[in-house]
Amino acid sequence: MREPSPQLKILSYAILIVAAVFALYPIWFTFLASIRPGGRLFTLDLAGMFVPKVVTWENFQQILFVKPFPIWVRNSLFIAGLTTIACVSLATSGAFAFSRFQFVGRESGLILLLALQAFPGVLALVPIALILQRLGLYGTRWGLILAYTTGTLVFTTWNLKGYFDTIPIDLEEAAMIDGAGPIQSFVRIALPLARPALATTALFGFMSGWTEYVMAQVLLAGQAQKYTAPIGLAQMASDLSTPWGQYAAGALLVSVPVVILFLWLQRYLEAGLTMGGVKG
Amino acid sequence: MGVTYRGWRKYLAVLAFLAPTLISLIILSLFPIVYNVYISMTNRNTFHYPVYDMPQEDRAAFIEEHPVTGPFLWNVVCPIFSGFCCDPDQPGRFCVEEPFYANYAELLQDFFAPEALRALGRLLLIIAPLIGAYVSSNQVKERFRPSPPPTWWYWPVGASLVIGLWFLLNGGGAYQTLNNAGSFFIVMFRTVLYVIACIPLFFLLGFALALVLNSEFLVGRALWRVLIIIPWAVPSYISALIWQFFFRTEQGTINQLLRLIGLEGPRWLLNPTLAFISVVIVNVWMSYPFFMVTIIGALQSIPQALYEAAEVDGASPWQQLLNVTLPLLRPAVMPAVVLSSITTFQMFNTVWLITEGGPERGAGKPGATEFVMIHAYKEVFQKQNDGLIGAFAVVVFIILFAATLYSLRLTRITKGAYE
Repeated sequence: MREPSPQLKILSYAILIVAAVFALYPIWFTFLASIRPGGRLFTLDLAGMFVPKVVTWENFQQILFVKPFPIWVRNSLFIAGLTTIACVSLATSGAFAFSRFQFVGRESGLILLLALQAFPGVLALVPIALILQRLGLYGTRWGLILAYTTGTLVFTTWNLKGYFDTIPIDLEEAAMIDGAGPIQSFVRIALPLARPALATTALFGFMSGWTEYVMAQVLLAGQAQKYTAPIGLAQMASDLSTPWGQYAAGALLVSVPVVILFLWLQRYLEAGLTMGGVKG
Repeated sequence: MGVTYRGWRKYLAVLAFLAPTLISLIILSLFPIVYNVYISMTNRNTFHYPVYDMPQEDRAAFIEEHPVTGPFLWNVVCPIFSGFCCDPDQPGRFCVEEPFYANYAELLQDFFAPEALRALGRLLLIIAPLIGAYVSSNQVKERFRPSPPPTWWYWPVGASLVIGLWFLLNGGGAYQTLNNAGSFFIVMFRTVLYVIACIPLFFLLGFALALVLNSEFLVGRALWRVLIIIPWAVPSYISALIWQFFFRTEQGTINQLLRLIGLEGPRWLLNPTLAFISVVIVNVWMSYPFFMVTIIGALQSIPQALYEAAEVDGASPWQQLLNVTLPLLRPAVMPAVVLSSITTFQMFNTVWLITEGGPERGAGKPGATEFVMIHAYKEVFQKQNDGLIGAFAVVVFIILFAATLYSLRLTRITKGAYE
C-alpha cells in the first residue's frame, strides 16, 4: 500500500473526528446527566452541556440501592443468558444442516426462513401471547426466552450458514476418510474454525434478550417481580415526573455490559458477519 | 460432495438438526402469520371482540350443525380460531366475514382510488430519468466490456431532467394528492420513502468510515474503531429517548446550540418534514456501525494483489475505488442492504419513542412519521381495528416477501458449501 498524501490524511482524521463526536456525544450527554444533581436531563448552562460542573453520585446510588434496578438486571441477565445459549445451539445445528447437507427443499427452506422475517412483528404480538397462553408459558420468563430465540434465529442461522460455507469441506472429508463420522468431524474441525461467527451469534442472542422491550412489556404485563431492565427503565421514563438523572444512570449501567461485549468481540465481529459473503 | 449420509438416513439427520429451529419457528413465526391471515378475514374490531371461553349452550347446536367434524372443531379449532364457530347474528362476537375477503376489498379500494393512482403515475414519470440513467449505464458497461465509455454524466443529466419534470408535471401537487389519499397508501409510500432515505446514508457513512479505518497508516486505528462502533451497542430504547430529547424545541440540545450562534431553531418534531429528517438521523446514528463492520470485514478479504495490478495498469486511487473495491464489496453488502431494508421498513420502537408517528396531520389521518408498523400498532392497540389491519399486514407481508425474493436473485446467497 502506498503512503496516502497529506491532504488525504487530514481528510481522514477530519472524518474520524466528526464521526466520533457524532457517535459519542449522546453517550457523553447521558453521562453528564447521570452525575448532575437535580434529576434534570438538560441544563441551560452552556459549559455544563460539555463538561461536568458539579459531580454527584447520588443518582447511581439511588438506582443501585433504592430502586428495584438490581432485580431488573438480574431478570435481564437470566433471560439474555439463556437466550444466548438457546440461540447458539439452535442456529448452529440448523446452519450445519443447511451448509453441509444437500437435500430437497434446502434452498426453499432458506428462502422461507428469510420470508418469515418479512412479517410485521408488532402484529405477531397478539398471536404470540395467545399461543404462549395455550402452552402455559404466558407471563413466564421461558415464554420470553422462546420468543427472543425465535426472533434472532433467522439472522443467526443465515449468518452462521454463510460462515460455515467458507470453511472448506475438504477438511471434514479428510477427517471422515480417517474414520470420523460427519457430525464428529464437523464438531471437531469446522466448529473451532467458526469461532468468529459463533461469537457473533452469541452477541446477537444476548443483545436481543438484553435490549428488547415491546414484547417483554406485553408478555410480562403487570408482573413487577419479573420486569427486565428495559421495561423497568421505560416505565421510569414514562412517569410524569421522571427522575432523569436516575434514568440516565440506569441507562449507562445497562449499556456498559453491551459496549464491553462489543469491544471484546469486535475482532470476531468483523470476521464473523459474513452475510453469506465472499470470504474464503 | 456433501456429507456422507445417504437416502433416508440423510433425511433423518437433516430433520434432527433442523427440528428445534423448525418447531420454534412454527410456533412463534408461522403461527402468528396464519393467525393474522385468519384475523384479516374477520370483522374483529371494537364492536366485535373475541370471546375466549365458548359458551357451553352453543356447543350442542354447533355439533348438531357439523355432525362429523363438530367435536374436533369445537374443542381444538374454536378455542384459537373462534371466528369459525360463531353466530354472525350474535352481537359483540367477531366472525369470519361474508365474503371472507371483505377487508381486502376495502383496503384495495383505498389503494386503487383513481386520483391516487394518477398522482403516483406522475411521480413515477418524474423519477423515470434516474431509473433510465441506471439501466442504460449498466447496459453500456455490459456491452462495451472491458473498456466502456464513461457514463457518469448520465447521472447529472438524469437529475436535471427530474428537476425539470418536477416543475413541469407539478410534482408537489401530486405529492399533496397522495398525502390526502387513503391512509393505507400514504403509510406505505412514506415507509418506502424512509427506507430509500436511510439505506444509502447507512452505506455511505459506513463505507467512508470503513475505508478510513482500514488504512494502515492511521494512528490509533484500534482506538478509533472502538469509539466509532459504540452507537451499535447502546440499546435502541435508550438512544431513542436521548435523541428525542435532543430534538425538543425549547430545551433540546440542538436548538440550544443553534441559539448560541444566534439562530432560532425549528420545531423539529412538530414540522412534518423535519420530524421525518429527525427519525432518519437517529436511524443513521444507530445503524451505520453495522454497515461499517460488514464492510471492514469485506475490505479485508479483497486480495491486495488486485490493487497492485490496477496500479501497474495506471489506475488512479479513485478508479481503483470504483472499479476494484466497489464491485468486490457487492456480495457482502447486498445481504446487509436487504436485511437493513427489512428492519428499517419495520422500524417501530425507535420512531415510536421519538415521534409516536406524529406530528398529526388532522383527525383520522396518519401522522408524518407514521410508518407501517406504527400505523399497525396504533390501529390495533389503540383503535382495535384488528380485522382491517390484519389484511393490511398480509398485503405488506406479500410485498416484502416479493421484494426479498427479488433481492435474493441479485445476491445468490442461498447456494451451499458444496456448490
